Formats: sequence, structure tokens, C-alpha cells
Amino acid sequence: MIDALRPRLTTFAAVLALLLLAAPFAGLVVATDWRHLGFAHGDAGAVAVSLGLSLVALLLIALLGTPLAWWLARHRVRGQWLIDALLLLALLTPPLAMGLLLATMYGPYGPAGQVLERAGLLLTNSAPAFVMAQFYAALPYYVLAARAAFEGVPRELEQIALTLGHSPARSFFHVSLPLARLGLAAAVALAWVRALGEFGVVLIVAYYPQGIPVKLWVNLQDVGLQAVYPLLWVFFLVALPLPLALGLAVRRRLA
Amino acid sequence: MRIDYRIEHPVALSASFEVEGFTVLLGASGEGKTLLLRAIAGLLPAHGEPFDGMPPQQRAVGYLPQGHALFPHLNAWQNVAFALRGARRRDEAIEWLERVGLAELAERRPAQLSGGQQQRVALARALARRPQLLLLDEPTSALDPATRDDVLAELIAEVHAAGIPALAVSHDPALAAVADRLVLMHDRRIVQTGTPAQVHAQPASGAVARLLGLRNVFRGRIAGAEGAQHLLWPEAGVSLPVHTTLADGSNVDWHIAPEAVVLHGAGTTLADAIAVSVELRQTGAQGRQLGLRCGQARLWAALPSDDAAAALRVSLPPAAIRCWAA
Repeated sequence: MIDALRPRLTTFAAVLALLLLAAPFAGLVVATDWRHLGFAHGDAGAVAVSLGLSLVALLLIALLGTPLAWWLARHRVRGQWLIDALLLLALLTPPLAMGLLLATMYGPYGPAGQVLERAGLLLTNSAPAFVMAQFYAALPYYVLAARAAFEGVPRELEQIALTLGHSPARSFFHVSLPLARLGLAAAVALAWVRALGEFGVVLIVAYYPQGIPVKLWVNLQDVGLQAVYPLLWVFFLVALPLPLALGLAVRRRLA
Repeated sequence: MRIDYRIEHPVALSASFEVEGFTVLLGASGEGKTLLLRAIAGLLPAHGEPFDGMPPQQRAVGYLPQGHALFPHLNAWQNVAFALRGARRRDEAIEWLERVGLAELAERRPAQLSGGQQQRVALARALARRPQLLLLDEPTSALDPATRDDVLAELIAEVHAAGIPALAVSHDPALAAVADRLVLMHDRRIVQTGTPAQVHAQPASGAVARLLGLRNVFRGRIAGAEGAQHLLWPEAGVSLPVHTTLADGSNVDWHIAPEAVVLHGAGTTLADAIAVSVELRQTGAQGRQLGLRCGQARLWAALPSDDAAAALRVSLPPAAIRCWAA
């Protein structure tokens, strides 16, 4: 009797979880005034800022995060826990606090900020500041996911590549990277979602240029809810395709 | 080719021996055989010749690990071409696959190949590297027992045809039997080398006899002076007459071939016959043997014909017993 109930209980729990996930979006569908769908001034600019600068941040995250993730997956060093603690700290820090820490370090009065400003790189209320905020928000997620992906690559295969006359770099590009690609795709999708949706860190260090999350806040303050929903729909429209396509590709491969 | 390697970590191990043709390093599990191969391939910090101090990518070795380690994201010819450079990579890879008889499977992924086929692709890949030495880790472990001997024969024929010295490490006596040269390892030391015929004719110790897969290797102790010696066999709780040159009280490993064990019917009147019970009967391609229970020990005896299957007593001729100081 109990055994017969178990699959049904599982199905019930799964459906309930899905319904709970869907509830806010169902609310959005109902609350949106479809007949008077209007955009606030500057919404188009916010979409361009979010998309363009998130892509730059994603590129930087992949360029710097991938070697770090591989190194963490393949090396055990004394004081490893310090590195793990650092990654966890970056994950744990509330976004608002992370924004304040970045402002303290890279702001006009911060030690790094002053040096960089003299070199012509302003990291407050600028496009580079926006990218920096997203970089810090999403990098730890990417590194953790990519590390797990590299840990799934049998070390023996990388070593065989060496015995076949390939340098460690060629072994990385021809063996490690292709074999970790599914996990890396998931890591890219995660980083993209984190970077694009980031609000707290961006709010502190890059109120300007305004990306979609900050513009949603500004629209709410200046106009009201009816100016939030249309932009939110656009946000979904531009943010969803990349992680959705990557996720589908991964699932197809695994199947 | 002379191999002379010393490993400090994760276990201390040193080995020095000659590799000629298809050489098998026979040792029990846990002896560090795989570590030795990895050290020679440069994948483990160690010192020794050949290739001392060179990074793995500069060592001219073809390394076939256990399980073959084919790249799962590449098909057969791409796996082989991984060891090749230049515009003709594909053609050369197909030629190597032809040599191992697998050209028609060139487009298959490793997961679509049998264990023996995977091994041949791995061999083609290792040979394509044009190595000076082939290293094979437990080459018989992943093979189907039904086709093992054929796959093994092909592997050895290909190694001979390539004309490259090959070192295979294994705990499999069947592989040792087909080697050109045998190297035996016990307690992380090389204990005997020679051709299979030499080693089988004169195993250097009880440990070697066990590695060779000989049945009926037991522990015992010599009692009495030369000329009137007995072998105490504590497991069976009996004492056997023997002729050795070992001193009174020596601990020994000893062996008797199953074919030398003499079976008697229950009615025998021989005084030194040992009472046994039949535990199992084994019939295989190699003949028929009886597993006999003698106290705590299991003694194997070759069974010449069906009618002796009910044997209840055995005697062990002193001339057939070989003892090694343990």
C-alpha cells in the first residue's frame, strides 16, 4: 500500500514545487496590462547596457575563471582551505555589502581606485564599473561549477595526452576542455544568469549606466508597477535564450 | 633495453632489469607495478634510466594503461591521429588501424568497440607515437576470457612485428606464460628474471611459485638432519618424509605438482598415506583435478581417470616435493 503511494507522493511533491516556482510568473501574466504595454524612457538603453556589458563580463569571467577552475580541480596545495574559504566568502557576501567592499577598494578614494583612475580607468558609475560589479557577482559561481566540470575529466586521459607527445597546454585544449564542455556550458549559463540579474553590487558601484535590474528599480520609484512589468518581460526575452539553449544542449548530450 | 628506476613516493620501490621483446613483469597486486610504469612514462616523480628527468611529452614511450584510456570524445582514427602531426594525420592513422586490423572501424567511438578492439586502437595509438619502449599495464585484465588468448596472441604478434621492446606488468600467470622474458617482483624487489621456461623449471622461491600460478604451494618446517628429514605441514597437521639440504628447523615454502600426488583407494595399507576428503572436482580444458581437503589445507591432485574420483587417501612422494627456505 505504502509502496504504491510512493510514486504518487513523489509526483505530487514535484508538481507542487513546479506550481510554487510558476506562481510569481503566473501573477506577472495576470498583472501585466497587455492592452497598454508601454515602456518608460530609457528602457531600450537599459536593455542594450545589460546585454552588451554582461557579454563583456561573461567573456572576462570565462577567460580568467576557466584557468583558475582547472587549476583548483587539478592541484592540491597546502592551505587549500583558504582558497575554498575565499570562494565561499565571495558567494556568501550579501550583494549590497559586496558593492560597498568594491567601492571601498576600487572607488575614487580606494587604494586600487586611485591608481586605476590615474591610469584612466574609472571604476565608479562607468561601463567598466558595471562590468566589474557583474564580474564579482558571477565569478565565484562560474569557478565552482567549472571546477566540478574539470574534476569530472579523468586525469588519466590528460596524462595519456602528455605521453602521446602533447604539451600540457595542448592537452588542456584538446582533452580537458572538450571533455568538460557540458559542465562548462552549465557554468557559463549560471554565470550569465547571475551577472545579468545582479542588482545589489551594481546598484552601489554602477548606478549609471543603468542596466535592466537597476532600471526596474528606477521605473518602480519614478513611475510605478506598470512601468516594471513590460521591462521585466523584455528582460526574460533577452536573458533566457542563452542559458536555455545551453541547458537543452547539455541535456541532449547526456541523453 | 635496460630499465633502472627508483621511486620514493607514494611507496619506496626500486627495480633494475632488462627488457627484451615482450617482457612481462609479474607481481601480486599492490607491489607498485603500475607506479613503475607511470614512473618510466614520466607521470610520477622518480629517478632512473632511460629518460631520466625528461617531461612525459618528450619520452618516447607508448603507454597503454589498464582500461586503455581512449579519448571518449574522439573516434578510433582520431584517437590514433592524436599521436600524429601534419596534414596526412588521417591517412597515417588509418594505416596504423589497418596494421592492427581495425581500419573498417575507424569511425567508431571507443564506447562502440569491444575490450579487445579498444586495446588494439590504444596499441595503434601508442605505436603511432613511434616509441622506443612500449609499456602495458595489465593488458589481459579487461579481456573476455573466451577471446583472451586470441587477443593476447595478436597483441604479442603486433609487438613483435613493430620490433619495439615491450614491458607488460601483470599478476596474470597466463600472460607470463607467453612472454619472451619474465621478471618477477615480490616485496617491491625483483626476485628472479629469465625466460618462462627457465623460471618455471627453477622458481627461486615459494613467492615466485605462487606468482607463476602453481597449485600446492604451502608453508612448512624441516625437522631432522639431512638423510632422515621430515617436513612438518602444520595446516594439514601431518609430517612428510623429504630429501633436502636444508638445516633442521628451517621454515620453508614447499610445492608438489598436482600430477605428482598419488591417489589411493580407501582400502590402502600404506602407513604414510594421508587421509583426505574430496572437496571439489574441476574439469576444464587443462584436464581434470580434485580439490582435496587435508586438515586446514587444500591439496590439488590431477585425476588420471574417473574411477579414482572417490580417493580418500593420498601420498606425496619425497622426490616430488620441492622446498625453498622461507
